[in-house]
Amino acid sequence: MIAAMVRVMALDLWRDRGALVMTFLLPPLVFLIFSSVFAGTTGDDIQLKLAVADVARTPDSGRLTAALVKSPEVRAETVSPATAEEVRRLVKAGQADAGLVIREDPASAGKPFVIIADPSRAVAAPLAQARVQQVLAAALPDVAMRRTVTLLEPALGGLSDEQAENADSAAALLRDTPPKAGDDGGFFDREAVKDAKTGGGVIAYYAGAVMILFALFSAMQGALGLMEERRTGVADRLLAGVAGMGPVVTGKFLFLVGQGLVQALAIFVTAQLVYGVAVVQHAALWLPTTLAASACAAGLALGLVSLCRTREQAQMLSTFVILILAAIGGSMVPRFLMPPWLQTVGWFTPHAWAIEAYQAILWRDAGIGAVYKAWGVLTAAGLLGLAVAHVLARRLRR
Amino acid sequence: MTAEPASRDPILTVTGAVHAYGGRPVLRAVDLTLRPGEIYALLGPNGAGKTTLIRTICGRIRPDGGQVLLKGRDPARVSAARAGLGLVPQEIALYPNLTVAENIQTFAALAGTPRAAMAAAVQRALELTRTVDRAHVPVKHLSGGYQRRANIAAAIVHEPSLLILDEPTVGVDLDAREAVDQVIRGLRDLGVAVLMTTHDLDQAGALADRVGFLNEGQMVLEGEPKALIAEAFGAQMEILVHLSEEVDAAGEIQLAAEGLERTRRAHVWSRLDADGYAAAGRLDKRLRKVGLTPREIRVREPSLANLFTLVAERKLAA
Repeated sequence: MIAAMVRVMALDLWRDRGALVMTFLLPPLVFLIFSSVFAGTTGDDIQLKLAVADVARTPDSGRLTAALVKSPEVRAETVSPATAEEVRRLVKAGQADAGLVIREDPASAGKPFVIIADPSRAVAAPLAQARVQQVLAAALPDVAMRRTVTLLEPALGGLSDEQAENADSAAALLRDTPPKAGDDGGFFDREAVKDAKTGGGVIAYYAGAVMILFALFSAMQGALGLMEERRTGVADRLLAGVAGMGPVVTGKFLFLVGQGLVQALAIFVTAQLVYGVAVVQHAALWLPTTLAASACAAGLALGLVSLCRTREQAQMLSTFVILILAAIGGSMVPRFLMPPWLQTVGWFTPHAWAIEAYQAILWRDAGIGAVYKAWGVLTAAGLLGLAVAHVLARRLRR
Repeated sequence: MTAEPASRDPILTVTGAVHAYGGRPVLRAVDLTLRPGEIYALLGPNGAGKTTLIRTICGRIRPDGGQVLLKGRDPARVSAARAGLGLVPQEIALYPNLTVAENIQTFAALAGTPRAAMAAAVQRALELTRTVDRAHVPVKHLSGGYQRRANIAAAIVHEPSLLILDEPTVGVDLDAREAVDQVIRGLRDLGVAVLMTTHDLDQAGALADRVGFLNEGQMVLEGEPKALIAEAFGAQMEILVHLSEEVDAAGEIQLAAEGLERTRRAHVWSRLDADGYAAAGRLDKRLRKVGLTPREIRVREPSLANLFTLVAERKLAA
């Protein structure tokens, strides 16, 4: 009986091309879009668009401007006219992420630079500042040295002629020595904790985020069939028989779990092929995680739809639940960008559990100890939803 | 088709069924018995209690009083009692993207048909409902008539001894209705007991071996259609007056004075008269005199529709 229902669901989906596209093509596509966006905005790949105005017009300010324009770390463009007003206008209009006004010679003792940024792009100001300092240290080390000397000179009680001459010679040497490749002249060396082609953790994050989002979305669409069965009298027909609606609910649940598995496969295979996320290598833990997440989505969808009296009610409720859970659980915006209280609330969504489990497996190479709790929570939530659906289906007899 | 086609023991026995919703009685001591190979039409206006009675027979409602037995077992308590029951809902209760054969197979499986017997059961249901030629067409692409027959096929694939049809021909044309009627007669001939609700009184009169009129939860009249009509109307005939156009208020008063009542058909009025054709002739003359020239006057034997009107208007003693 249960197999008959699984077959009905499979044939129904197979013959509905729109639903097929929505179920198996759209999720990898959305994943690719999300991963492209976030892989490029949370790592080293961020290329800030910087509007530069050289108001000071000194030789060193000219060298800095040229170095910024040449730098691959930032998309710097000089503005015309070269005024602070023009930079403000471009930033305000959103034509530049941030602006730099060089109002004095870079080696002078005061504050020669002004960073102009839109408060709605909070990360732009510190990032622009860091990029300018990086370019300054790498391309104009002599200027950095002369500024240091200028700052220290009063504390040292002034420089002797000889000391001043030595400082000038050192600065000239620095200016004429090309910087080593990859050396930004700063204090720090960097070490990545994980090898990856691009994006790394963010890709693993979004693979999980899109998987659970679409698992729930597709499960809701599938579960809406319960409403259709009530509307068309199929439920009446079955309730007049021996088996009732039990096998229908169980059959739908099993089909939706299977559908979630195939859907997840499409997303994670894309992640492996395009971004090199190590899915196959972690298949032993990926599979139970995916089964638990799919079971959770299927059970919740069936339980929620069963609570409704009409298809319209069910559609409204499912849209509400899908969007709210996705927003809180981290399928739309990475959880680490959320305030702590919202991250805590997120644990009440299957999304957070699924996302964290996938990240633990695929990004941090964690073992079963890091994910067994997520498996338990997701499976329990799914079974609870299934139980609710069964109880309510039995009550339909009355 | 049925396990015991030769037996004349009742398949369905409803005895003194009583039920109320929130204190409002919907079934008042209803009795109903149905034997193999019998077609029973359950008639009555909307809200008469037909749906509640059917839900009670299907075991979905446990009556507040009285008893419902399917082959001697209570369908609300013993799920196995429902194994011999097939329900054809008013809607097309099928999966539209699946073919007719796939639908029948699905409902056969959900009714517990063994895998080994599946193909034969599906083929038999297709043949009985004359849908073999559309077996591999998705239900959504079928005509209304074929959809109705496929709807029946899904309910008989597990060979029920009692088939309940809720408005089996609503919304179909005359040819499609005749095809459905043939299917129902064929099932009756195989020994299936058929209980149907319908608002199509012509269909009920043509098909049913017995009819029951349910009104306000009471079975007010039950028996063979011809016998009931004869008992209610005796030698009276129905005179049907077809007018060319709608009459004004004065005309309505004239028609009422002649004992004519408006029927459901436009511009058609009727009355019962023991004098039949002679009365029709006199009526024609009187109407012409007052300027209400009939386009046609017909005389016919009273039908279930006349009986239904009496029941609905409570002009008949229970």
